[in-house]
Amino acid sequence: MAINLGYFVRESLVSFRRNWVMSLGAIITIYLSLLLVGASIGSSVVVNNIVQSVEDKVSIRIFLKDGAAPEDVESLQNALLKDERVKGVTYTSKEQALEELKKTMEDSPEIVDQLDVNPLPASLDVDLEDPRDVMDVVAFIKANPTFPNVADKPEEPEKSLKYGQQIVNQLFTFTRILRTIGVVFIAMLAVISLIFINNSIRLAIYARRKEIGIMRLVGASNWFIRTPFLMEGVVQSLIGALLTLGTLGLVNLYVVPIVRDQLPFLPFSISGTVAVQISLLLVISGIVIGVIGSGFALRRYLKV
Amino acid sequence: MISMRDVSKQYVPDKPAALIDVNVDIEQGEFVFLVGHSGSGKSTFIRLMLREILPTTGTIAVAGQDLGKMRNWKVPFLRRNIGCVFQDFKLLPNKTTYENVAFALEVIGRSKHVIRTQVPEVLRLVGLEDKMESYPDELSGGEQQRVSIARAFVNRPPLLLADEPTGNLDPATSLGIMSILSRINKTGTTVLIATHDREMVDSMRKRVIALEGGRIIRDQSRGVYGYGD
Repeated sequence: MAINLGYFVRESLVSFRRNWVMSLGAIITIYLSLLLVGASIGSSVVVNNIVQSVEDKVSIRIFLKDGAAPEDVESLQNALLKDERVKGVTYTSKEQALEELKKTMEDSPEIVDQLDVNPLPASLDVDLEDPRDVMDVVAFIKANPTFPNVADKPEEPEKSLKYGQQIVNQLFTFTRILRTIGVVFIAMLAVISLIFINNSIRLAIYARRKEIGIMRLVGASNWFIRTPFLMEGVVQSLIGALLTLGTLGLVNLYVVPIVRDQLPFLPFSISGTVAVQISLLLVISGIVIGVIGSGFALRRYLKV
Repeated sequence: MISMRDVSKQYVPDKPAALIDVNVDIEQGEFVFLVGHSGSGKSTFIRLMLREILPTTGTIAVAGQDLGKMRNWKVPFLRRNIGCVFQDFKLLPNKTTYENVAFALEVIGRSKHVIRTQVPEVLRLVGLEDKMESYPDELSGGEQQRVSIARAFVNRPPLLLADEPTGNLDPATSLGIMSILSRINKTGTTVLIATHDREMVDSMRKRVIALEGGRIIRDQSRGVYGYGD
């Protein structure tokens, strides 16, 4: 096969030189589409990290009414602690709540000082093992028989509870929209790259129709006639994929640190293994696009 | 070598058929002329043997293989057993004589060693050993046709088909081409030539199959062209 491999590589290069404009067009579209794939995967990794960090802070706060029986509070606390989804429960008294308010209002203490009674309710803070259980645990709390006895506003259970689910939901919606837009764009670009490869291979076939005719005549096998074209498509998309990897590497090296410095509170990083996975994915999808694109062209324009 | 049984070929329904009820047997080592006017079915005959097309009805066997039952992927291997020469030579303009002939071996996966020994040998056979590095446009028509014969024969196929091999050449050059084809025939290769070159057919006195309107109207050994036109 050594002779054949040399032959195929030579043929692909010659053909590439012959219609480099089409080939370049194919390479650029693949480059752009893979760049978008890479960028959207990279950013969704980052967004997921951010969501994770927000989720980690998620807890449920139960506001207690003034004068709630301590044993009721304790029984609710114990019921929650027995649940395996719950990591921990902390009790905050009215006084502690006021202290906390004072702390956050440090800049304008007069507001707090003007209060003659403490309007803040005591509360139970419930930390969860997995943020995704928030809604379930909320339901569990509402269903607990002692909850109406201790809740600040028993007739409106929703107002006696405060939890970060709203924020997380919004983040999830945001990432979902981002992902959908990304997928649509990627699909469109993938189709465009397929068309480009298809076209460039069609031209390559047209440019070599005489050779192909003679090959058929002297009995070259079908795969022997097809392989150079298939290789050409694959080489085009591989070049596109490598350009993408180079660009993403540069972005990761120079742009990401700047963003990280600007937004130090957000976990802006992509781990090495994830980077390798993304690179592999890009190269493989490049090859797949190349094979499919030139395969289409061969089926349509190269009757053997 | 070639056997056709009740072969008809109709390209378009409701139009006259290109070949009608053709029955032919050609033995190994024969030298046969296929004659007839344009449109008499000569080219269809050749294309059927190369399995470029399939007959509408009837069966064709070439080199012991039933073409109707042959799977598509096997067709290239059939064609390795059939050398083919055309009126327009079909040479690659950007390749030298040597490269044009070598190309035929290269694309069927022959080794470099085989190519290096067989190509000069076949070029000597057609008398082009001095023109190995010439490009087609530096060669005369007769020389170009000899390159194309060399390419058809370099793989030593048992059957050589020629479709109007002298159609573009003057009589003297045509004679040279004919003598090469007859030399190839003497190595045991079956040669089938489709032509309407009357002089050539008459001078060779070989088997002649005459077609008219898609039917065989005459099949005689040591025949002549024989149309009174």
